[in-house]
Amino acid sequence: MKNKKEIIITENVEKSFGNFQALKGITATVKESEVVVVFGPSGSGKSTYIRTLNRLESHDSGRIIIDGVELNDDVKNLEKVRSNVGMVFQSFNLFPHLSILGNITLAPRKVKRMKKKEADDLAMGLLERVGIPEQAEKFPTQLSGGQQQRVAIARALAMQPKIMLFDEPTSALDPEMIKEVLDVMRELADSGMTMICVTHEMGFAREVADRFLFFDQGLLIEEGSPDHFFSNPKEDRTKLFLSQIL
Amino acid sequence: MRLINEITRDGFFWIKENLFQSYLNSLMTLLIVVFIGYLFLDFLGFLINADWTVVEVNRRLLLLGRLPLGNEIRGWLILWFSMILISSSIGIWGSPNIKDFLIIFIISLVIFFIFGTLNSIYHILITYLISFSPYFFSKYFLRKKYFELSKRVLIFSWILIIPIFIIILLIGNGPKPNLWGGFLLNIILASVAIVAGFPLGLILGLGRASSFPVIKIASTFYIEVIRGAPLVAWLLLAWFVLPTFLPNLFGLNEVSIVVRAMIVLSIFASAYIAEVIRGGLQSIPKGQLEAADALGLSTIDSTFNIILPQAIRVVIPALVSTFIAMFKDTSLVFILALTDLLQVGRLIPEQEPEFFGRQLEALLVVAFLFWVVSISLSNLSSRLEKAMGIGVR
Repeated sequence: MKNKKEIIITENVEKSFGNFQALKGITATVKESEVVVVFGPSGSGKSTYIRTLNRLESHDSGRIIIDGVELNDDVKNLEKVRSNVGMVFQSFNLFPHLSILGNITLAPRKVKRMKKKEADDLAMGLLERVGIPEQAEKFPTQLSGGQQQRVAIARALAMQPKIMLFDEPTSALDPEMIKEVLDVMRELADSGMTMICVTHEMGFAREVADRFLFFDQGLLIEEGSPDHFFSNPKEDRTKLFLSQIL
Repeated sequence: MRLINEITRDGFFWIKENLFQSYLNSLMTLLIVVFIGYLFLDFLGFLINADWTVVEVNRRLLLLGRLPLGNEIRGWLILWFSMILISSSIGIWGSPNIKDFLIIFIISLVIFFIFGTLNSIYHILITYLISFSPYFFSKYFLRKKYFELSKRVLIFSWILIIPIFIIILLIGNGPKPNLWGGFLLNIILASVAIVAGFPLGLILGLGRASSFPVIKIASTFYIEVIRGAPLVAWLLLAWFVLPTFLPNLFGLNEVSIVVRAMIVLSIFASAYIAEVIRGGLQSIPKGQLEAADALGLSTIDSTFNIILPQAIRVVIPALVSTFIAMFKDTSLVFILALTDLLQVGRLIPEQEPEFFGRQLEALLVVAFLFWVVSISLSNLSSRLEKAMGIGVR
């Protein structure tokens, strides 16, 4: 782990929505193949933070460098970063007018100019990887929440990203469907994907994560290994929050 | 026999439950029955006394207006071409049931009685042949063997329909556009307004929803100005005012009244279509665009592949209702001294002494023709909704 290069570098990132300062200077790095779990109370800025990493939210000040490319107003840089960073949303955000196969193949065909046959093969491979190849011809609304989220993961993977961002991927799911999504994420982590997950599934987080980041009120309060957090967290706010959710 | 008993028993039960279950309800039912009965008897009386010669003698004027003699074949060609397109489209995409066939049959029978006469019997037979054979041909042959190809050819022909209409009307020393008239004029003006207004409206709707201030303000200005005045005002403006202060570039002042009406109608339609489209754009959740952004899709790709397909599906009912409104608004071109269907229907009984007092017959036929087209459009709308309903949120 020590020799791996730093694939995500954020320095002093700030972001405000009107008068509300969501991020008050976040400095953190993520190394290649690392799995980082971000958690904290709601309104702590954790979602905003990972959304700045592919510029769904543009940061007001500070620097964000993804795989050697700085995120700024340069559109070329943005294209490069977005093709390297996949994202999975809390509410899936599948395209309801396209079939499952259409959802997965759209970006490879439009952005990478892939041939239809090639894209279809890629998509079928990914659907097999997330365990639902038999749903390829259906439409998103015909699938359960867990299946939809697995399709969303496959859709992000179709662009062959180096980094995957997960923004509370299981929060909108019924309890019995959470496991099937976490299993896919676990497999992804084992395969060496760099991942940043905002999640409250602490059991899963402890098992998979290399490192935890704890956010509160727009600040990165504490970071460290899962063991550090579960045995002796330093900060009072961390202790308080952990005692509430565990 | 038992079945009939059961049906009558159920029928009585239904009537008692739904129409007479309280004193007030019974009273309302009786009043409405009396009212409907009165209207019906009145209408029946009219039908018995009606004299349809006004329509029979003037059917050519109603359908083609002042189109010079010897040019009827242009009208027939346009009808035949449209029927081939409609009929093969139903064969390729549609799934009509018995009820639809029955309605189409009744409507075409009425049209036959109104407009059919012995000397055009061959044309009418050709029309029927042309209206039905492409349906079976496309349903049982093209749909099985050349589905993708014939779909493409059909879409292409629909896009080209207006140029083809105009070529049919103008080719070989055809009459001047000012002489186009009757129902033909309404159909042509409406098709131009819809086909030209839709893409323009799409661009304006996207423009008004755009985040670039210049484009947004320009689109908003256009839409609000056009919608701010009645269509009649714009038509008059195009007739009287434009020539006086526009430079005579590209022969702009010489273009025929019909072409000016086409331009005004398209511009007018586009403003309304733009607002309908914008309503659809607003109904798309923010997450859709975020997902497209996160995948790296360009603005153009996400607009045409993610946003517009969903937005248009949402607004199909409103869109078709705008189309129907535009179609009926074409009758306002009478203000430019053009003789459209409504104008012909209004003028004939006034100008020919033998038909004094026969307004009702003429106007009823006019209303029927407008109704046939409007109801077909509205039917198309509900079919489209169902067909695109797959995968609704």
